[in-house]
Amino acid sequence: MRRGNWRMAEPVPFRARGFVARERGWAAAVTLLAVLAVWQIGAELRWFSVAFLSTPAAIARALWHLVISGELGRDLGASLGRLLGGWLGGTLAGLVAGLAIGLFSTLRNPGMAVVSALFPIPKIALVPLFIIWFGIGEGSKLVTVGFGVFFPMAISTIAAVDAVPRNLIRMGQSFGLSQAAVVWRIVLPGALPALLSAMRITAATAIILLVAAEMIGAENGIGAFVLRAGNLYDIDALMAGIAVLSLIGLAAARLIGLAERALLKWR
Amino acid sequence: MRLHRRLVLAGLAGFAVPARAEEPIRLGLLRTLSPAPLYLAQERGYFAAEGAPVVFRFFEAAQPIAAAAVSGDIDVGITALTGGFFALAGKGTLKVIGGGLHEQKGFDLTAVLVSRKAYDAGLTSLEKLGGHSFGITQFGSSFHYMIGRLAEAKGFELKSMSLRPLQQIGNMLAAVRSGQVDATMAIASQAKPAAASGEAVIIGWVGDHVPYQITALFAATPMIAKREAALRGLARAYQRGVADYRAAFLAPVKGPATAAAIADITKYVFTGDPAAAQKITEGIGWYDEGGALDVADVKAQLAWFQAQDMVKGPIDPAEIIDTRFLPTR
Amino acid sequence: MTLGLRADGVSHRYGAVTALEGVSLDIPAGETTVIVGPSGCGKSTLLGILGGLLRPSAGEVTVEGSAPEACLNRLTYVFQDFALLPWRTVAGNVALVLEPHGLSRAAREARIAEVLAMTGLSEFADAWPRQLSGGMRQRVGIARALAVRPAVLLMDEPLSALDAQTRELLLDEVWATVVWVTHNLAEAVRLGERIVVMSRRPGRIRAVLRRGEAAASEAGLWAMIRDEAADAARELAHG
Repeated sequence: MRRGNWRMAEPVPFRARGFVARERGWAAAVTLLAVLAVWQIGAELRWFSVAFLSTPAAIARALWHLVISGELGRDLGASLGRLLGGWLGGTLAGLVAGLAIGLFSTLRNPGMAVVSALFPIPKIALVPLFIIWFGIGEGSKLVTVGFGVFFPMAISTIAAVDAVPRNLIRMGQSFGLSQAAVVWRIVLPGALPALLSAMRITAATAIILLVAAEMIGAENGIGAFVLRAGNLYDIDALMAGIAVLSLIGLAAARLIGLAERALLKWR
Repeated sequence: MRLHRRLVLAGLAGFAVPARAEEPIRLGLLRTLSPAPLYLAQERGYFAAEGAPVVFRFFEAAQPIAAAAVSGDIDVGITALTGGFFALAGKGTLKVIGGGLHEQKGFDLTAVLVSRKAYDAGLTSLEKLGGHSFGITQFGSSFHYMIGRLAEAKGFELKSMSLRPLQQIGNMLAAVRSGQVDATMAIASQAKPAAASGEAVIIGWVGDHVPYQITALFAATPMIAKREAALRGLARAYQRGVADYRAAFLAPVKGPATAAAIADITKYVFTGDPAAAQKITEGIGWYDEGGALDVADVKAQLAWFQAQDMVKGPIDPAEIIDTRFLPTR
Repeated sequence: MTLGLRADGVSHRYGAVTALEGVSLDIPAGETTVIVGPSGCGKSTLLGILGGLLRPSAGEVTVEGSAPEACLNRLTYVFQDFALLPWRTVAGNVALVLEPHGLSRAAREARIAEVLAMTGLSEFADAWPRQLSGGMRQRVGIARALAVRPAVLLMDEPLSALDAQTRELLLDEVWATVVWVTHNLAEAVRLGERIVVMSRRPGRIRAVLRRGEAAASEAGLWAMIRDEAADAARELAHG
């Protein structure tokens, strides 16, 4: 229609709209609050029975009682100790094993065979065995969490080492860097983003296994608390415990997010 | 519009009631020796004869039986009276209608089992249990209750003990035999072999010190409300099963009735086990006459769980017990 | 007083593909040798073998002469894909190659400042590689190579990012032996003291020309490379 009209003059329309990941932090908070509000209002208006589904207010009340009675502090202290100890141990062991397997070709096939064979075992099924091996106390709990974290961490580390561009390693070698310097200055920093992503996942794994570990022989701990509340059908307390587990997960993710921001400025 | 919907609902209900009367009652239970009177009643056709045909729904653990009644997957069940059971009953979804297994003085059912190590270190009587570690299945379980009542009876502090939830009976036995816990409880058929092996020592029997209605027959509230006649039939059949059970196992003289009962029971447990007869006679527990319910003890249990803050909120015992179907002790 | 390289009967195979066959070549100390040839003729492979980053299937490379004392890395590469560490700043990338050599902090920083100035990157010392254009990243690669005072500089198309003036200035200042693989025939003629023309794959030496020879002109080189490309096309057609 306008073809041949050499004198046309109009602004070029902007066409590269959308498909951009933009952060709207407040939207996340508002969504969560809205869900809670609908839940509470639904309960008040008896849209559903509150016998087996608590309300946010009842959960908050149960949580508050746990805080002032000191029970939450005790359980949280015990659980965080197990979580941190098991996760750190499993992560470090997985990192070392993954690096060894990823870097030394003689270890690769034997190491991968062992890791691949043991990785898919549901660690929860091993809890009774761990109790016999490591005792009913903290030992079996730390091992359950640590063992569960070890395998995903080792596998992610191997993959992360493999994904470090080989030309960067060759560059280091061409400048006469020692093997240790290549590992320390090129392989590890190159693998770091993938390692931090793996840690996000293993933190969640650790929380799941914490509950499993606290099923057996635990007098205290958030997992034990949740199971006890479940056994007693104390729905408010059960959901309060789940909320605490969820908050632990959020806090762990946040910490790793902060670590990513500090360590991966260059991205 | 509203009128119309109500009519439809009423129509549906009208069709549903006669159809359900023909339906067998779904009864939840554990595949253990403890519900043996029900096996007898089923094998001998008492349920069908009383107009209350029953299908068994077997469960792996006691706790889900009560939950299944709440969710509508079973109509009636026999299970341990636990903290979880009372919590569910307190929400008006279940009612206890009759007695099951009962601890009885002089009738060795549940033993207190102590590890060899703890015994040698001086844990030789029930009074000394305070301060020791003790294996239970779960918080609020029968074992938790029994050790709590034992503490009251024997004058030691439950709070001084470290209770270890081990989830399964097998774990409890393994933990006490390997010395991971100082003490636990086990039924006779499991406690006696453990003691015979020398790895553990029996220091007492729960039934000698604490009266205890261990298991009870319960019904889901809709079952009571809508199918009362069928439930009455089920109760009558249950009483006949209990009578047969008592004649076979609880009478002073064992005779042909015992052998016949063992034959029926082995269709459910110890099937094909050459030592079944011995295991059954050793493991048999007390049932009160007529499937009677120890109402006073059920109330005491509820009070204990409430005092321990394991069952919350006010629960009127009358609301969770219905004595119209079976006698009381 | 610097190093020269000698390749004797060097061949290289990647699986079934023969990239180089029987290449014998002298790279005299202190000269700038430019290697040209049709695409895929094995120029980069030859450069890798000359610097010890690839193992030849046959033949060997010897290094001759003596390296100056200031030299920290005798055979130094400038990589075609820059090979910068994305988690280090421009200065940090240069620092990486100085770190193993026990220089004092001050000496190291002085040297970094010097090579960044030479490549026009002084203002970008603290920038991350992702913030730089492709050409600037190449300069970082060059700066890094110069920082170790190389005896032999092996460059895979590294100068395209520099403007012509900087390029000539740079080559004047570098007193190392330079081996330079390029597609740019005009520059090969202008900057190369010796020009090695390679045949199509499997790569062989077709000619070694000295600056000033009649064939060492842009047109002469172009004719030779075009011949090779035409032969390759004919082979494909009659295959």
